[in-house]
Amino acid sequence: MTIATAGRPSVARLWWRWPVGLAAMAATVFAGTCIGETPIPLSIVVQTLANKVLGAAYPLDPIDMGIIWNYRLPRALVAASCGAGLALSGLVLQSLLRNALADPYLLGISAGASTGAVTVTIAGIGGGAVSMSLGAFAGALTAFLLVALLARAAGGGVSARGTGQIILAGIAGSQLFNALTSFIITKSANAEQARGIMFWLLGNLSGVRWPDVTLAVPIALTGLIACVWCARALDAFAFGAESAASLGIPVRRVQIVLIGLTALVTAVMVSIVGSIGFVGLVIPHAARFVVGVRHGRLVPATALTGAAFLIAADVLSRTMIPGQVLPIGVITALVGAPAFALILLRGRRRP
Amino acid sequence: MILQARNLGWGVRRLPIVQGVDLAVREGETLGLVGPNGSGKSTLLRLLAGILKPTSGEVAVEGRPLSGLPRRLAAQKIAYLEQQADTGEAITVRDAVELGRTPWLTPLQPWSDEDDRIVAGALADADLRGFESRFWATLSGGEKQRVHLARALAQRPRILLLDEPTNHLDVRHQLSMLDLVAALPVTSIIALHDLNQALTCDRVGVMAGGRLVALGSPEEVLSVERIAEVFGVRASIVVDPADGTRIFRLDHLR
Ligand SMILES: Nc1ncnc2c1ncn2[C@@H]1O[C@H](COP(=O)(O)OP(=O)(O)OP(=O)(O)O)[C@@H](O)[C@H]1O
Ligand SMILES: [Mg+2]
Repeated sequence: MTIATAGRPSVARLWWRWPVGLAAMAATVFAGTCIGETPIPLSIVVQTLANKVLGAAYPLDPIDMGIIWNYRLPRALVAASCGAGLALSGLVLQSLLRNALADPYLLGISAGASTGAVTVTIAGIGGGAVSMSLGAFAGALTAFLLVALLARAAGGGVSARGTGQIILAGIAGSQLFNALTSFIITKSANAEQARGIMFWLLGNLSGVRWPDVTLAVPIALTGLIACVWCARALDAFAFGAESAASLGIPVRRVQIVLIGLTALVTAVMVSIVGSIGFVGLVIPHAARFVVGVRHGRLVPATALTGAAFLIAADVLSRTMIPGQVLPIGVITALVGAPAFALILLRGRRRP
Repeated sequence: MILQARNLGWGVRRLPIVQGVDLAVREGETLGLVGPNGSGKSTLLRLLAGILKPTSGEVAVEGRPLSGLPRRLAAQKIAYLEQQADTGEAITVRDAVELGRTPWLTPLQPWSDEDDRIVAGALADADLRGFESRFWATLSGGEKQRVHLARALAQRPRILLLDEPTNHLDVRHQLSMLDLVAALPVTSIIALHDLNQALTCDRVGVMAGGRLVALGSPEEVLSVERIAEVFGVRASIVVDPADGTRIFRLDHLR
């Protein structure tokens, strides 16, 4: 049988998963740092890291060092956080809404975050006192609440069984917020700004520097820890919110905290790299396929796969067309759309 | 009194669905709940499980108000088996039954061998040995129902609330389910449609139009007149000559 049905090793006997997971994560980040348009030998990458992290003093070309330390490493770290964060957001939404198609992008949360971010940066609402991430968070939360309300009014609230409504409402929400974003850009931005924003909206990691790392990594870790902490609660939602309540889960509290965190993670990631689709949708399904449906395993697997996937997508976006950087959203959609089709065809059941 | 309801009521907007239910359940007894479709049996069970917040009155467990009890502690005392609960997840029978341990575990208190034993016992009690690695979607209706029962048993509750636990089961499993529940050292409330099964309970409550219209021993509560009044059917009592057991024969009311 599959892994999902294998024996039941106790958590104590599975402690090794965490160091192995961490090592795998470090290896992917390292790979992302090594690969790029300009070929830089492995030894130089290692020496740069040694110089910066361990205080070694290898004589190196400052340009190479700059590329590795100021450009590629933060980029790989942000890509990893972003991939893990978005994939976990998708997983949480799928489990809580019991809908295989739920993800921050389809539910309009990403679109709301974009609108919020654009409102702050371009229209200048908040007069500089409000950061772009905060604007994005407000937008993300507003979008989700609107979508949830619409779905509920249409007869399929957050806690209802088998809901297509939430996806339909999400599509309406995405359209609305994308239109709002375009409206704000057209009205308030000059041509130069508009081009930059459009590129950013499709997902772009070129502008990423160390300050973004210090925002993205803690937020992604917060999301991961919350999901690990709530793994059993997420399991308990398998038969619906009512069943979760009868298993002792404080349903309302878990929903509010986890969906709030999802909005926060999505908002922060969108404010740093723009809105990237399909990661939240496809990665949890891929992880389920490998480790089964129990969240104790699914959460770390999803985070790891999401991180690796986005680093790979970022490397591809930089190297696929020489001398050109593709928006990363284009890569994730190129991979994600066919995967999405597969999910639709396969349904959610496995034989 | 292990479970007590006082003037319990619940409604949507102006419409009362359950109202004025007073009920005291004794430790260890099996209480049958009968009534026509839509009479409020499931709603009453959800109120007693603490899943629905009452709009009037209150529920007390072991003398303490259920509304003041954290969900986790409530779930350690009360297990509730829904009338219908399905999932699209590719979950196995063992996964589903293990969910019953949720109220006893915390993120810091991992799965133990004791939990393994309890789950194995629950699987055995529900006659599900050999089904452990089957996927939910591949189970028959009755097998699903037995998985739900096993999950409720794995919860090791003091009070079992079962909503039509026998409605998908074959005859043998219906009997063994009821025998099992009767033999367990727990207090149970079972919503039932089969009046003959209700006769085997310690006490029976009759729901009609959202009210508990009768409560008492099966013989006195399930009188021919009341069955005619509540269900609109004519019942005649047949006595099995072998052991004197009463059986209902039901007919359309003319
Ligand atoms: N959320 C709700 N909104 C509106 N009406 C409801 C709601 N929940 C229950 N009802 C109504 O309340 C009545 C009682 O429902 P309940 O499920 O408790 O009946 P029941 O006795 O369990 O019936 P059955 O034998 O069919 O299982 C029904 O008429 C039902 O339509
Ligand atoms: Mg019912």
